[in-house]
Amino acid sequence: MNDYVLVAAGVLAGPVIGGLVSGADRIITARVQARVGPPLFQPFYDVAKLLGKEAVVVNVWQAFCAYAYLAASVMAVVLFFLRSDLLLIFFTQAVGALFLVGGALTSTSPYSQIGAHRELLQILSYEPLLVFVIVGIYLETHSFKIADILKWPEPLLLKLPFLFVVLGYALTIKLRKSPFDLSTCHHAHQELVKGLLTDYSGPFLALVEIAHWFDVVFLLCLCALFWATSWAGMAILLIVTYLLEIVIDNVTARLTWRWMLGYVWAMGLALSLVNLIWLYAAR
Amino acid sequence: MGKELLSTILILLPFVSAILIYLIRLSALRSLIVLVTGGVLIACSLLLIPYAPFTWSPHALLGIPLHGIVQVADFALLLIILYFGYKHRNLIIQVLSVLQIITMVYLEFFMVKGPISTDISYCDNLSLMMVLVASIVGSLICFQAIPYMKAHEHHLHLEKSKQHQFFFVMILFLGAMNGVVLANDMTFFYFFFELTTLCSFLLIAHDATEIATKNAVRALWMNSLGGAAFAIAIVFIYYDLGHLDMQQVIRTGPVAGLYVFPVALLVFSAFTKSAQFPFQSWLLGAMVAPTPVSALLHSSTMVKVGVYFALRLAPAIQLNFLSQTVAVFGAFSFLAAAALAVGQSNGKKVLAYSTISNLGLIFACAGINTPEAITAGMLLIMFHAVVKALLFLCVGAIEQNIASRDIEDMRGLYAHMPLTALITVMGVIMMIMPPFGVLLSKWMAIEAAARNIYAIIMIGLGGAITVMYWARWAGSLMSDPYAGRQFLLKFAREKQAALTWFVLLGLCVGAGVMSVAVPWLYSFLVVPALGGAYVPPFTVRQGILESSFGSFPVVPLCIVAAFGFLISIWALKKAMRARTVAPYLSGIQTDDPGVFKGPMNQPVKAWARNYYLQTIFGEERLTTWVNLCAGVLLTLMVGGVL
Repeated sequence: MNDYVLVAAGVLAGPVIGGLVSGADRIITARVQARVGPPLFQPFYDVAKLLGKEAVVVNVWQAFCAYAYLAASVMAVVLFFLRSDLLLIFFTQAVGALFLVGGALTSTSPYSQIGAHRELLQILSYEPLLVFVIVGIYLETHSFKIADILKWPEPLLLKLPFLFVVLGYALTIKLRKSPFDLSTCHHAHQELVKGLLTDYSGPFLALVEIAHWFDVVFLLCLCALFWATSWAGMAILLIVTYLLEIVIDNVTARLTWRWMLGYVWAMGLALSLVNLIWLYAAR
Repeated sequence: MGKELLSTILILLPFVSAILIYLIRLSALRSLIVLVTGGVLIACSLLLIPYAPFTWSPHALLGIPLHGIVQVADFALLLIILYFGYKHRNLIIQVLSVLQIITMVYLEFFMVKGPISTDISYCDNLSLMMVLVASIVGSLICFQAIPYMKAHEHHLHLEKSKQHQFFFVMILFLGAMNGVVLANDMTFFYFFFELTTLCSFLLIAHDATEIATKNAVRALWMNSLGGAAFAIAIVFIYYDLGHLDMQQVIRTGPVAGLYVFPVALLVFSAFTKSAQFPFQSWLLGAMVAPTPVSALLHSSTMVKVGVYFALRLAPAIQLNFLSQTVAVFGAFSFLAAAALAVGQSNGKKVLAYSTISNLGLIFACAGINTPEAITAGMLLIMFHAVVKALLFLCVGAIEQNIASRDIEDMRGLYAHMPLTALITVMGVIMMIMPPFGVLLSKWMAIEAAARNIYAIIMIGLGGAITVMYWARWAGSLMSDPYAGRQFLLKFAREKQAALTWFVLLGLCVGAGVMSVAVPWLYSFLVVPALGGAYVPPFTVRQGILESSFGSFPVVPLCIVAAFGFLISIWALKKAMRARTVAPYLSGIQTDDPGVFKGPMNQPVKAWARNYYLQTIFGEERLTTWVNLCAGVLLTLMVGGVL
């Protein structure tokens, strides 16, 4: 396929798929809670409205950070569509995550500050897990390049089941779902207001939201690699995984960062080790 | 100019200049000598590029046999160290230096018959890279030291300037550094190796406070331990092989039974020099010295000798148990030092732990010992040198302005020192973000380490921790409400010495340009250095580095990143016209952005500190365990080969 088409697909996939997933998420969550929920396109309406608002900043570098966050997240998805190096894509999306934190840190509001630090702890929790997942994929397919990984004849899920669970932890944190929605989430926090996003507003908040959609798409793509041999398998895997995320979000309560760090590292490390040793032994 | 002349200048000019600086006590003339020496060193190191690889065996200097000169100088050096051992009543230094003297006497007068080595000097691209790093980055640090020391002595209200001593050692250090990386004869290597130990001792002790002396003495005994290990190792090697030609020793490989043990000792000496656990305390203590000293020790000299030596020895330990343990030890160091850095609010300490951490990663690369890993190690040495020098000099400049090195005191520094704050943030970004060189090397290291389960687990965890302490710091610097509205005006108001600006901007731009140039650095610097021992792992096409299992589109990514940067800058400029509001405090805002109107109309100050997670990552909590683990790993490494 032509590279330009892939780039365009990557740039479009973020807002379209990310926004739709977000809309579907809100409807399903509402139904689970016996509410009707917003229309499917509500996330788009929200973002459009935010984009039309007056630009208000606490620190002008927030604008810089919001744009840099979006740029890095778009870049990560585009690189994924270009079937580039998985580890490099991971580092690229990490750039976005850090600029988001950076923007919050430029404000002196304790809500932003504490939100930013909690976000750093979330990054600290999930980053090693994503590295282990990528290493696991490499050990199985002998390549970090998505182009080679897609050529692998059998679904990775069969050889990397525990690492898929590990990826699930990272996904839950990245999607800002309970019990890991410490830094900010879609609802207001009683103790942190909007946490990390407190001092982002108007168009900058809209950019942050769009960038988040790109992050969601990146993570879903990463999940999709686990059953890349058939479209049906891929779709089933993604839908089941996302539904599971929604269930987890609804049945758990937000917990502390101490618990998150301890639990995610312990479980993530243990599961990764089991799966990695398995792969080493199979070699 | 011939390679012989260039090498001679690179090693000897600093010695001559150092003596001149010591004798001529005029500040203007001294600055001139420093600038000229630095300039000549930079020029010579660049001119040396087309000559590598070459060997060179000078037998006499001004008619005196060279080996004799080094022999005499070596014993003189050991006696000076012994003297300092007596002066500071440190038994360990005394014992270790006497041990080294006895070992060297035994080696030189009872064992050695005939020439020790074929080539006294050997310069391949690995040495060349080190010469470039030491000469260019080292010289720039010496330049910045000129305005720094002036302010430093002014601040201390010294009656009598000690700058001649200071610059004597600083410049001498560069010569010792060039000497050590160009030496092939291991007795020569040993002499320069010990000279860097002595130089760092003198520099740490420079301010002559109680704590400075104490830390300097600690640095001296720890590095003497490495020196003693080195001396014993070369006796073993001479006993086994009958020569001390480093290239031949490496080529021989681990065939002889006893041979691996001395190599393990050599690696041990590299660990002490690079301040790996449990010897980290000497490097942490070194921060009491004036900041240019830290910059020099951490970036381009001293600690880089250890990692250089490990990469140099790597081909000799390929497919060996020693290589495995070095990989695990290095990865452990990377993780442990990163964890300790999280607990620190002292900026210089964060930098120090980050240095130990990065050195650990380079050791891990040497231990993993695949072509990708060695490439990663070399690139990391280079990029770490430039960026770490930049960050140390930034902290030095900040410290002289705000009289603190605590990250909490640097909160909102952007309001007072906008350009310095931005350069520091840029330094941090170059440490942790693609497409910059440090991260590129880390990417390479992770891909290379993926087949080593112990190493990859620790590197994966360490990498995430690293991000945490850097991002926190950069964010704090910019934490300033209302900032930046008239930032061009503010830039004009920030005052620093012209030389400081030159060095800071030079290093910052240099690191950026080098990052774009990685494909060419790889093709022209790294590939020849891999030599016969390793197959070049990457192909370069249109600025894309590609191996059989990974690819890093360096130039395309840089272009896109630059594009993203420009858009963000455009957004920043547009935001300057936007309405500015006070940060949200969940109360009625007042004129002061950090204060809101609370109950009874009383002003309430709202503030937050950074998370330092002392209960998890505190020094008191971790250091003992980390040292214990490192001790076990070291015992495994040295004992395991017996």
